[in-house]
Amino acid sequence: MPDGEVLLDVSGLSVRFPTSDGVVNAVDDLSFQVRRGETFGIVGESGSGKSVTNLALLGLLNRRAANIEGTALFKGRDLLTMPPGELRRIRGKEIAMIFQDPFACLHPMYRVGDQLVEAIRAHERVPRRQAAERAIEVLAAVGIPKPRERFRDYPHQYSGGMRQRAMIAMALLLNPDVLIADEPTTALDVTVQAQILELIDRVKKEFDIAVVLITHDLGVVAEVAQTVMVMYAGRAMEQGPRQQVFGKPLHPYTWGLLESIPHVDQKVSRLVPIEGAPPSLIFVPPGCPFHPRCPHRFGPCDQKRPEFRDRGGGHAEACHLSADEKRTLWAERQERFTRAAV
Amino acid sequence: MEPLVEVEGLTKRFPIHRGLLQRTVGHVHAVEDVTFSIRRGETLGLVGESGCGKSTTARLILKLLEATEGTIRFEGRDITRLSAREMRPLRRELQMVFQDPYSSLNPRQTVGQIVGTPFAIHGIEGSTRSKVQDLMERVGLNPEHYNRYPHEFSGGQRQRIGVARALALSPKLIVCDEPVSALDVSIQAQILNLLLSLQHDFALTYLFISHDLGVVRHVSDRIAVMYLGRIVEIGDAGDVYGVPKHPYTAALLSAVPTGEAGGEMKRERIILSGDVPSPVDPPPGCAFHPRCPKARLVTGSPDEVPENCRTEIPPLRNSGGRQQAACWYPLRPDDELQRVVSHEPRGS
Ligand SMILES: Nc1ncnc2c1ncn2[C@@H]1O[C@H](COP(=O)(O)OP(=O)(O)O)[C@@H](O)[C@H]1O
Ligand SMILES: Nc1ncnc2c1ncn2[C@@H]1O[C@H](COP(=O)(O)OP(=O)(O)O)[C@@H](O)[C@H]1O
Ligand SMILES: [Mg+2]
Ligand SMILES: [Mg+2]
Repeated sequence: MPDGEVLLDVSGLSVRFPTSDGVVNAVDDLSFQVRRGETFGIVGESGSGKSVTNLALLGLLNRRAANIEGTALFKGRDLLTMPPGELRRIRGKEIAMIFQDPFACLHPMYRVGDQLVEAIRAHERVPRRQAAERAIEVLAAVGIPKPRERFRDYPHQYSGGMRQRAMIAMALLLNPDVLIADEPTTALDVTVQAQILELIDRVKKEFDIAVVLITHDLGVVAEVAQTVMVMYAGRAMEQGPRQQVFGKPLHPYTWGLLESIPHVDQKVSRLVPIEGAPPSLIFVPPGCPFHPRCPHRFGPCDQKRPEFRDRGGGHAEACHLSADEKRTLWAERQERFTRAAV
Repeated sequence: MEPLVEVEGLTKRFPIHRGLLQRTVGHVHAVEDVTFSIRRGETLGLVGESGCGKSTTARLILKLLEATEGTIRFEGRDITRLSAREMRPLRRELQMVFQDPYSSLNPRQTVGQIVGTPFAIHGIEGSTRSKVQDLMERVGLNPEHYNRYPHEFSGGQRQRIGVARALALSPKLIVCDEPVSALDVSIQAQILNLLLSLQHDFALTYLFISHDLGVVRHVSDRIAVMYLGRIVEIGDAGDVYGVPKHPYTAALLSAVPTGEAGGEMKRERIILSGDVPSPVDPPPGCAFHPRCPKARLVTGSPDEVPENCRTEIPPLRNSGGRQQAACWYPLRPDDELQRVVSHEPRGS
């Protein structure tokens, strides 16, 4: 288990959007902690509530459109109830963020360097020159070659990978405690993705921060996260240390995900897809939201919502099956899966 | 038996125009001197990073683009210079499934119309409706949804519509260009399984394009790896992935996150420096030489590569394994770079 100080402590976070079609239950009762020095991975298919979780934490959801419950303590202060001014000071400085699209952070019409300098001076009273020196240092730290020259370029003069680096530089300028990265490598090719993941990991160590990494790619979280939360239909299905969640997965949804991904290093004769499709978040199935697609559903699954419980060692999940039943089922599934390997 | 498709020296350069007079000031070297064949009933996978020329290759083969150089043979017949009219009878043999199940389906047509269009165009006799409903059933759609519109379906179901449309006239070749890239993993596996079972039932031949190396591995019998418009390695899937000979293939495979690093990023991997160079002005010699880790191992210096890598284009040839690679210094079994990617099978 990571043992750094707890920086983010989220408890009972729910986000609902009242719409003309009904209430969208985008995030439903999430609780998790993120510690300094760890990468906390949030993984789930599209529409599972990952980005809404992120936006809620950053106070970027419109309070009039979204109904938010729960608490999200950052170093003890609740991000969900603090005054907008205080939140604005924290956001961008103590909690920084990066996204899939670098243009969400970099304005295409201004030089990269000028934007970095402005970002520093928006939060700190420092002379331009000094801010520029610091910006160049950070550009160098994120691996931009010839940072002094590239400082004067416009974002479009950077390649895709370099723009991603520039955005990370922007996030690191003010020495944040937490970096939230929402699908930071989704638009990138695999070799550039490898560079960016390595960079995020390196800055996490060098700057001694916590990283919240949001992605739909199980391989990415398995590679870089120490703690993982698997989301489905706005809820946490399973959560815990990476070795536990991927090595001894407990939830049938996690099993399904793991079995439906083709690997580069293993050929199986048949993938085992999860039948059906994710539910509408307006009409979330009663009981366990995964039950209509779950091959192991039984009595209580469509009646009673399974409690999200710690099964030991910080490995938590929400499923009605008993620990014994799970062990047997997973062993059976694995055996079938390995037998399919050729 | 003769291959279904043979391409030789296939090249496509897109002119770049500038100024009022639209003078040609250069070319995008999208596809350069590509040679391969696709056997009947097999799946040839085409992998490579975005912009390496995969989609252009596909469009050339389907004759949606005119080749700059080279030849394309279908069932032994040279179709490179056939006119649109001459191509028409061949159209039903060559079909395509696109990446985006949202924009590749006409939103104002019902499923029945979309899947039935090929029957109408080719003047096929008989009840289109029952043929379309059979197809819908075969690809896992409810035939009663014949009159529904694309927006009433989920992404995965829309891709099934795209597959049914491609399947309509019993084609011989289906080119799948990133057919599952827009889908979530749980749905992706459903579509991949569908494509594989259709191939089995209808003896289809696939050219399967994806940037996802795992997906390509799963469906392909043989795999071609492209870099900057050229094929750098081609061979049986197990050989190319198991014992890659081209340093680029090795780098690509080692970049795929698999979780082996145990959350610590400790796994050995080949991190390529820099980005893919511009196809407008590709590097001379081997296009991969500016980023090639092997060329640097050969000289023993991070700043130097062997002379032939810089000046001569390496031909695609046998390189010590069963596959072919275009490299002057292909990886050897004892190569440090190959050790990084050679995989022990999982679960053992
Ligand atoms: N402002 C909004 N109003 C209504 N529904 C929303 C709003 N923002 C997001 N949603 C819905 O919330 C769900 C979760 O979305 P999101 O968090 O973006 O998913 P993802 O896991 O792909 O990041 C989706 O069904 C989305 O349509
Ligand atoms: N119609 C076109 N005009 C000019 N350049 C093009 C055109 N189509 C593709 N290209 C260029 O050709 C190269 C190969 O593109 P493409 O075949 O789409 O690659 P891939 O499918 O591997 O991502 C890219 O540099 C792309 O920008
Ligand atoms: Mg999202
Ligand atoms: Mg393409």
